[in-house]
Amino acid sequence: MNLERVVFGFVIILALAFTFAFVMGDIDNASHHNVWLLTIAILINLIATGLKLGDRSQVGALLLASSLVVDVLLIAARVIWVIDENQTALGPSPESMANIVSLAGGALLASIVTVVILVSDTLMSRR
Amino acid sequence: MATTSELDRVSMVVLRYMRGPVFVLIVVYAIGITGMALIPGRDADGNVEYMNLFHSFYFFTYTATTTGFGEIPSEFTDEQRLWAILCLYMGVVAWLYAIGSTFHLWKNPHFLLALNEHRFAKKVRRIHRPFFIICGFGDTGSLLARGLSDHWMRAVIIDINPERIKALALRDYRVRMPGLCADPAVPKHLVDAGVLMPNCKGVVILTVDDEVNARIAVMSRLLNPDIHILCRSTRKRHIEHLCSLGNVTIINPFEIFSQLISMAITAPRLHNLNACLVHNPKAKLGEPIVVPTGNWIICGYGRMGQWLYQQFVRKGIKPVIVDPNAGNVEGAAMVINRHANRESLEEAGLEHAAGVVAGTDNDHDNLSILMSVKSLNHDAFTIVRQNRHENQIGFDVTDADLVLQSSLTTARRVLKHLISPQVQQFVDYLRDQGEDICALAVQRLKSMIGDEPPHLWHCCINSTEASSVSEHLDSGKSLSLGQLRRDPHDLDGLIACMPLTIKRGEECMMLPGDDEPVLPGDEILFCGTEHSEVLLSATMNNAYTLDYLISGRDKPRGYIFRWFEDRGETATTPT
Repeated sequence: MNLERVVFGFVIILALAFTFAFVMGDIDNASHHNVWLLTIAILINLIATGLKLGDRSQVGALLLASSLVVDVLLIAARVIWVIDENQTALGPSPESMANIVSLAGGALLASIVTVVILVSDTLMSRR
Repeated sequence: MATTSELDRVSMVVLRYMRGPVFVLIVVYAIGITGMALIPGRDADGNVEYMNLFHSFYFFTYTATTTGFGEIPSEFTDEQRLWAILCLYMGVVAWLYAIGSTFHLWKNPHFLLALNEHRFAKKVRRIHRPFFIICGFGDTGSLLARGLSDHWMRAVIIDINPERIKALALRDYRVRMPGLCADPAVPKHLVDAGVLMPNCKGVVILTVDDEVNARIAVMSRLLNPDIHILCRSTRKRHIEHLCSLGNVTIINPFEIFSQLISMAITAPRLHNLNACLVHNPKAKLGEPIVVPTGNWIICGYGRMGQWLYQQFVRKGIKPVIVDPNAGNVEGAAMVINRHANRESLEEAGLEHAAGVVAGTDNDHDNLSILMSVKSLNHDAFTIVRQNRHENQIGFDVTDADLVLQSSLTTARRVLKHLISPQVQQFVDYLRDQGEDICALAVQRLKSMIGDEPPHLWHCCINSTEASSVSEHLDSGKSLSLGQLRRDPHDLDGLIACMPLTIKRGEECMMLPGDDEPVLPGDEILFCGTEHSEVLLSATMNNAYTLDYLISGRDKPRGYIFRWFEDRGETATTPT
């Protein structure tokens, strides 16, 4: 067992779980999406990105790239939320809510790709 | 650069051919358009109106190409219609002439030749990996190309015979092998084939004519003083001349062939190993063919027979020679100056002979000798020479103990040399060491690769072929062959491969042990399976895997975990 693998696997799957938790719900209903979940997902993903810095292997490079994609998309969603927060009493209007959730959906897809790469690399090494 | 002249020639030929048609088209267009613009027409209200130049060009374009959109912008007058008829016929004829000339150009053999050369040179210039030039694509050349393709090695091919180059296009090689139908002795064609390119690793000259071969070799040496040349040559006069060129390997098919037969007789285990290394499908590793000593009969005393005879005499065997043109041979047990048939073979003592070599230069004679031998003395060991590759199936159905095909043995020897010159050095070493060492080596190899066909590959410890190994060595750490061969999936096991030789500077070490250190610049010849080559090259080029093999544990990869580990180490080491 390799401690680095455990920690990285934990962080990356946790980030996927949080992103999924945020995306769940109607796409344009602000009350279905908790901004705290989004913020925590961003933080965890940034940690995952940081853990991959310095890995010179091919798979390491791919994991770094895909987690960077997740970072960019989630941060973009969070920025829209900050701008449109006061549109209604509940939070962003349905239109901007749809934008935020679809960006987070894209991040979810990239997150799934990261996890698939991680799992297949672990299975390939067969140690 | 001489290579660009081909392009000039092609474009020049096209321009010269199209000069007439283009001129005719321009004149016809000019007449038609001017006429149309000068003839008065009428608009819808009946006023006189001239067509402007743009409209008349538009009209002429669709008329001359027989598209015919009608009378635009307004209906034509009769004068205009008359002119339109003229325009139509003129234009169509001019276009037919132009298109016909183009077709004619495409059928011009000189143009096609120039175009082929141009395309060939372009293809060769786009090769960025190491490649060889093969001059002569006969039996040997095509077998060699097949072998190179099996090892993912590239070659470009020049042959003077167009049929052979056409056949080349239909081969299913693993790598692309461009071919040119041209005389390889012409320097321009050698340059087109890339003799001056830095990634051209050698010129292999295999045409049947010794004279032509020598000319190509001299020309290649003149063009590129450093290139390695492998040249087929059978005459002493040429061989001496070629040796003086420097960096030339002589390929004498007769010598190679007779060496192989003598190896089969005197060193059956080595012969077996050699056959397996060159992927002879009939040979099974560790199961040598035992050739009896005793009375031998050689049928056919040409150049091949003479080489063979010398090899036999050197081993203390005095063979009987059957050949109509043998004359008087010194040292032979008996010479029968007749064609080999039932009677002459009986006279040669076939009933008591241990073996027969059917070695004439005619495949049908050889096959009929084989049939006579089988009916007169079924136990005799038979070695038969196959001259032409196309007769393969005929020889496959005979139950001869050993079928030797000169073109095949030559191609295999050249292939071994191109994979690495160390292969032949290794075989020579085993021959000098004797059968016992060879048996040990075969046993070791067999325990590693089992029944899979052995695969040879050559690896140089440098930053391109083994990046992580050379990085590891450059940082001052040591590495042994045993560590390199550990299996990344199972640290206690080894990758199924065996280092045969290590070339270090001028020295060449044979059968190195697992303790042997690996040094930068080493050239290692491995024998294993195709799969083990992939595994080993993955180890050699992945720093993390190599590190895991040496230390037995995964090192942290990211900055953060590395920082943690460094802190842990400094904390535990007492200062």
